[in-house]
Amino acid sequence: SAAPRRPWKLFGAMCLLRLPRITQPLEKMEEEMAALMEQIELEKSHYSDHEIRKLEEEEQLKRKKESLYDEDEARGKTVIMARDLEEKWEQKFLQFKAAPRITDADKSNDRTSLNRKLDSNLMLLVKQKIGNQDLWLLPQVEWQPGETLRGTAERAMATFLGDHIQAKVLGNAPYGIYKYKFPRAIRTENNVGAKVFFFKAFLQSSDLSQAELKADYLWVTKKELGDYLKSEYLKKVNRFLLD
Amino acid sequence: PCRAQPKKKKKVDVRKEQAQKERMKKKLKKLEKAAPELIPIEDFITPLKYSESNRVRSLPALSPEESERRVLLLKKWCLFKQKQDEAEKKAIKALVASQEEALQELRLESEDLYEAAIRRDEELFPFERDGPSYTPPLPGYDPPEGKCIDITKVYTQ
Repeated sequence: SAAPRRPWKLFGAMCLLRLPRITQPLEKMEEEMAALMEQIELEKSHYSDHEIRKLEEEEQLKRKKESLYDEDEARGKTVIMARDLEEKWEQKFLQFKAAPRITDADKSNDRTSLNRKLDSNLMLLVKQKIGNQDLWLLPQVEWQPGETLRGTAERAMATFLGDHIQAKVLGNAPYGIYKYKFPRAIRTENNVGAKVFFFKAFLQSSDLSQAELKADYLWVTKKELGDYLKSEYLKKVNRFLLD
Repeated sequence: PCRAQPKKKKKVDVRKEQAQKERMKKKLKKLEKAAPELIPIEDFITPLKYSESNRVRSLPALSPEESERRVLLLKKWCLFKQKQDEAEKKAIKALVASQEEALQELRLESEDLYEAAIRRDEELFPFERDGPSYTPPLPGYDPPEGKCIDITKVYTQ
């Protein structure tokens, strides 16, 4: 199309999210409510088979202690009591050790590791050179004619993480935009500024050993973004991130 | 099959067989016309053994302080959930607004890119994702072996 060349440079950026692996801890209100719901459910319920068996066995034991009836005991010879079964199950449960919710990476605050903060979303930030400054940004590359913006964003991801990344891009449309004008020194008629279009993707595989990381990178949560991103950029990015 | 039939009786037998077949067909038609039986929903039928009286739990009655506490907690929960819902809706609105703004800016840039952006993504759906669990997966965990036999009753109409 013979449209006049616009003075804005186009960039495609990818916001790669590692989705949470464990549930978030319940708030105090939620815990109280959960306890209340359990209590009400218990009150409204009837006895189960296992509980009836337990009650009957308690009665039998009481009768045995009070009056020494051997015939009763010999007739219904229960080898395993319900109480013993419960103890066995309890023992088996205590023997199982689940993986910890707070990992080593959490304790050492290693922000380059993906095993940190398993209950929240983690985003990829890379250090890029813009003009003559090194800035922490979401991975971005300049748009080349002939590709769609989504293609640009995917190329950005591949540039920084290699080709073997399995990520599901959420749709063809950009989620946000950051517009900025170049400083007066390099601004010209044809080169006023740049527009960065953000796309979102979910990381599918958690195994990044094959990724060839070419620059400094970090995986941070939404709250920690403020430590690295500039305020205007951060404002635009926060709009399309749901925590 | 009885081949040792004398030739005289053949026609009579054929006619008898035909009459039998017609009777069977009429019976089948009658059965098919009858309305199909409803499949019982097993969840809605309480087995009788659970309505016996010895099953009723015996717990101490609720004190008035306890019921007060419960009512107040339910009201606070109502408020909490309302705030949570409002926050979610606000976040979704911000997301949609951000996307609209981005698309508008893109349109100003070039129509081609805009058209490519608003096209539907065929590979996105069906979208599958495993939800989070309480603890992360244990590396090197060996689950106990066993076979799962499905004993759900299947009803056919």
